Amino acid sequence: MEPEDPTQPLPQPKRLTRSRSDRVLAGVCGGLARHLGIDPVIVRVLAVVLLLAGGVSLIAYAAMLVLVPEEGEAEAAPATARDSSPGRVVLLVIALLVAAPLLIGGGLIAASIVLPLAFLALTGLVTWWLVSGEPFAGSAGDVLRRSALGLLVLFGSALMFAAGFMGAGLGGGTAAAAGVVAAGAVLVVGAFVGRVRWVILPAMSLALGVGVVAAAGLSLEGGWGERDYRPASAAALQDRYELAGGEMVLDLRRADLPRGDTPLELDLGMGQATLVVPKGVCVASKAEVGAGAVDVFGDTTAGVNVDWDDQPEGRRRVVVDADVGFGALLVRHNRRDLDHPRRDRGDDGPFGDYRGPGNTGCADA
Amino acid sequence: MRRPDVPALVAGVALIGFGVVLLLDAAGELDMTFGTLAPVACAAMGITLLALGLSRRY
Repeated sequence: MEPEDPTQPLPQPKRLTRSRSDRVLAGVCGGLARHLGIDPVIVRVLAVVLLLAGGVSLIAYAAMLVLVPEEGEAEAAPATARDSSPGRVVLLVIALLVAAPLLIGGGLIAASIVLPLAFLALTGLVTWWLVSGEPFAGSAGDVLRRSALGLLVLFGSALMFAAGFMGAGLGGGTAAAAGVVAAGAVLVVGAFVGRVRWVILPAMSLALGVGVVAAAGLSLEGGWGERDYRPASAAALQDRYELAGGEMVLDLRRADLPRGDTPLELDLGMGQATLVVPKGVCVASKAEVGAGAVDVFGDTTAGVNVDWDDQPEGRRRVVVDADVGFGALLVRHNRRDLDHPRRDRGDDGPFGDYRGPGNTGCADA
Repeated sequence: MRRPDVPALVAGVALIGFGVVLLLDAAGELDMTFGTLAPVACAAMGITLLALGLSRRY
């Protein structure tokens, strides 16, 4: 046996690194598989199984993301400098704290807290990767910063969608559309000036909010909540009833409608509008629904951009012109809540079977 | 002259086009429905994602 040469350096142990070439997210599974000499698919399948079984693999993944250097990074940076990074230490402590309950029991409760947080963080990272192109990997501080920036962009996008939706819905359609053009102009100018990719998602969210309102023909004027109108005479009947969102019931059974046509406009942003007419009164209806249903005495049509037009003749008619953004328009001879208070509310709902009489007041009824 | 950021430029142009369509709808010149919104929105997002992907490759 030959004696060891003391001048030769001792063989270095094989270091665990995150793979640069075989990666789905940050190269953790690929690096681990290479280190263990097994197929990366096996590691990934195990990671998913453990994720579904309580989320332990998520914690392990986060810890490895923080602690394990990338391939090439290990040689470039001395281990002491990497290990002493305060961000990595803080993240490791957080990971251990949240992992502890998972590992020692009470996993479901802890998982219900940890998993949404981890999901949020990952969502932020993916968002920032999409809008900036910056990779997942890096120091702990970089990862946290990117996750926070990604979440900020998502939050801003949600706000912009709401702003576009509400602005256009409240009658500012032209201004909101001009805002979309202005946002596009900002992006075009910004493309030559600086880094504005993070503006893309909020600007598109604004456009989508305005677009949804335009496509649905939505109007958010008239307030929110429940409205129950029961005019006691034809004179008390308004020409137009509107509601931004909620449930509106217009009960005309006590209105003593005159012979001839009684025009009526119903404008509902989101929700359900129910028109109740006395038997013997014909209902001629024209309705546009952005997304939802029209149900006139059980004659139903539903879908996106529903265009309903039914104009039967009758000596005494209510001529309805309805505009519903998202929701349903129902025309009935009775009311579930007043006439059948104990009845199963599902019996004659907008998509259920209507069991009352049809459009009885019409000439061909 | 500085080289423009192509994805931002493409997204900006797509948004301006979409905004013009929305302005025309608000003016009553055309009637936007979900049937027109969906392809327009998908096209705008698709072309932006395409530009993003290509900008990373080249």
